[in-house]
Amino acid sequence: MTIDSQLAVEARSVEKRYGSQVALAGVDLTLKRGEALGLLGPNGAGKTTLIRILSTIARQDSGSVRVLGLDPAVGAVAIRSRIGVVPQELALYDGLTARENLNFFARMHGVGESAVSERVDWALASAGLTERANDRVVTYSGGMQRRLNVVASLLHEPELVFLDEPTVGIDPHSRNHVYEMVERLHASGVAIVYTTHQLGEVERLCDRIVILDRGRAVAGGTLSELQRRVPATGRRKLRVIADERFVEAREALTKAGIEAEIEEELPDLEAVFLTLTGRALRDGEI
Amino acid sequence: MIRAAFTVARKDLALFLRDRTALLLTFALPVVLAMIFGAALGSMGGAEGMGRVVVLVEDLDGSTQSRALVAEIAKSSGIEVKATTGARARVADGKAVAALLIPNGYETDLNSGREARLVLYRDAARTVEQQVVAGSLAPILMKLAGKQIGRSMMRKSLAAFGMDEKVGVELEKTMGDSFADGGDLMSSMPKALGLEIEDVTGTDDPAQKNAGKAHAVAGIAVMMLLFSLTAAGSTILDEEQQGTLQRLRLTPTASRALLLGKAIFTICVGLLQLVVLFAFGAIVFGLPVHKTLLALLVLSFAVASAATGLGLWLAVTCRSRKQLEGLSTLIILAMSALGGSWFPLMITPAWYQKLGHFTLNAWAMDGYHAILWYGKGLDGIVVEIGVLLAIALMLTLFALRGWNRRFEVTT
Repeated sequence: MTIDSQLAVEARSVEKRYGSQVALAGVDLTLKRGEALGLLGPNGAGKTTLIRILSTIARQDSGSVRVLGLDPAVGAVAIRSRIGVVPQELALYDGLTARENLNFFARMHGVGESAVSERVDWALASAGLTERANDRVVTYSGGMQRRLNVVASLLHEPELVFLDEPTVGIDPHSRNHVYEMVERLHASGVAIVYTTHQLGEVERLCDRIVILDRGRAVAGGTLSELQRRVPATGRRKLRVIADERFVEAREALTKAGIEAEIEEELPDLEAVFLTLTGRALRDGEI
Repeated sequence: MIRAAFTVARKDLALFLRDRTALLLTFALPVVLAMIFGAALGSMGGAEGMGRVVVLVEDLDGSTQSRALVAEIAKSSGIEVKATTGARARVADGKAVAALLIPNGYETDLNSGREARLVLYRDAARTVEQQVVAGSLAPILMKLAGKQIGRSMMRKSLAAFGMDEKVGVELEKTMGDSFADGGDLMSSMPKALGLEIEDVTGTDDPAQKNAGKAHAVAGIAVMMLLFSLTAAGSTILDEEQQGTLQRLRLTPTASRALLLGKAIFTICVGLLQLVVLFAFGAIVFGLPVHKTLLALLVLSFAVASAATGLGLWLAVTCRSRKQLEGLSTLIILAMSALGGSWFPLMITPAWYQKLGHFTLNAWAMDGYHAILWYGKGLDGIVVEIGVLLAIALMLTLFALRGWNRRFEVTT
């Protein structure tokens, strides 16, 4: 296999079985450095297995894998020092404070002793937890724990981050905060593999999408590319750029014998909620 | 790897020290158990008795001599006297351990030089108490009857030589109370036979002459250490369940550093527990821990290492905490019973003692007995330390193998 140095992830014909059950049946996947990829698929599609293989803690039965140009079979430790994995479950020590958790994970990620404090402060600020840094995690809300769960994987400034449903079960404010963290990561050139069941998240955060089903990558591309692969409804929308002239535009269309109707585009419920309650985090409130 | 291992150990210690339940189970429970076992086994090898045994006394004679006998028995440290009637029936009904019947004519028999008859009714099932009763009664009876026995022997001797009875009466007046005291006779008998008795085990301080308490503290220490360290090892399963182990496996830190960190943490907890328990033994039971501190520390390190090996091995072998708790309880209780943590192996048959030495408890107990009772130093427990460290090494290798199978990259 030729190694493409521009690729953060390159997987070819990856197969994995657990007994008689096929988890991956020849998956091909590539991710460019700095690209954000949404990995979608129903439960049991093979997303978790693929991430386990790409993050070096499981090995494929056949096929080839390169992560940041390295073969996980021989360079697992080197890969681990350059990737971050945000697990779906909250993997934190409840009995420790946020700062203690981050101090610990920073050292385990090999962050140099002189840089630990700086990186922990960055992570706390990034997660919006500076004021509660010395409180035990057990006293945190679900949203606070989720945010801490994300930044605990970013302490060593990884080049590639896997996020496995990082916003499960949290309030809109925290969810929005996580989105913003991911967007900042992406903007800073970090490659991202983002798995979720919330399709809107992928629309917002990812450059490209791969859909897995029954252990195979059944589709891949940008959102618009994927949308074109599905038969259209036949219905079209005409956007009038000058909002105040939309009535005039409809009359013109009617005159030309084109049937048209005015449909007001409304914000979705999350946008309504965030507008009404503000976008700031509400961790301190009872 | 070492640095990462110490980081893991420090994190686990911080979590442990904040867990009140774990602290109570690790430090308070063993102290309470040691106190209970110490009280129960306190009489072994020490000056303290096992408590006074109640002996019923039915005095049918009601004479000066019989009352003097009852008063003397009541002074005994081993017996508590209770006057009663129908003594035999009460023992037969299981309501009393023993009863002493002083028949009519006791004083007359003593004064006339005839054998003074007493009857002791016993519940044969209460063997330990019977030994206390017999051991307490014998010197008292000898002491009180000694003068009468002396007079009786003198009269019989004079008669045997054909001397007139009046000579005997005169001689008795002359000698007055100088007949050998029976009690003194008893205690001086071995010496008179050329036998000198010396207690050579324990320490010179009588307050510390207590094998039972030494055993209780050491036995509970070893058993509770096994429980605590198995629980400490089970943090591996907790971390697996809460996802932190997975997160740690995704770091560049060597997987073995995590296991080493757990081992360091577990040994530290074990040593802390032993320090607390032996400090308690020293303060409350007066165990001479300060006299062989180095030996005690080295042995405790070896015991904690072996127990840690067991804890880690069980933790990586079991699939869930529930499974671990069930299996470890079974193994630890069996090892504690076989290895002498509950009762001294010296009171068990030879085959039991041999079987017991297949457990780490027996080697640990041998070592602690050697230090706390026989006063040995480091050079006297080399074998025990060697065996315990060998057990530690073997179990740790098993744990490492299990760890690799379970947590290294799956193919």
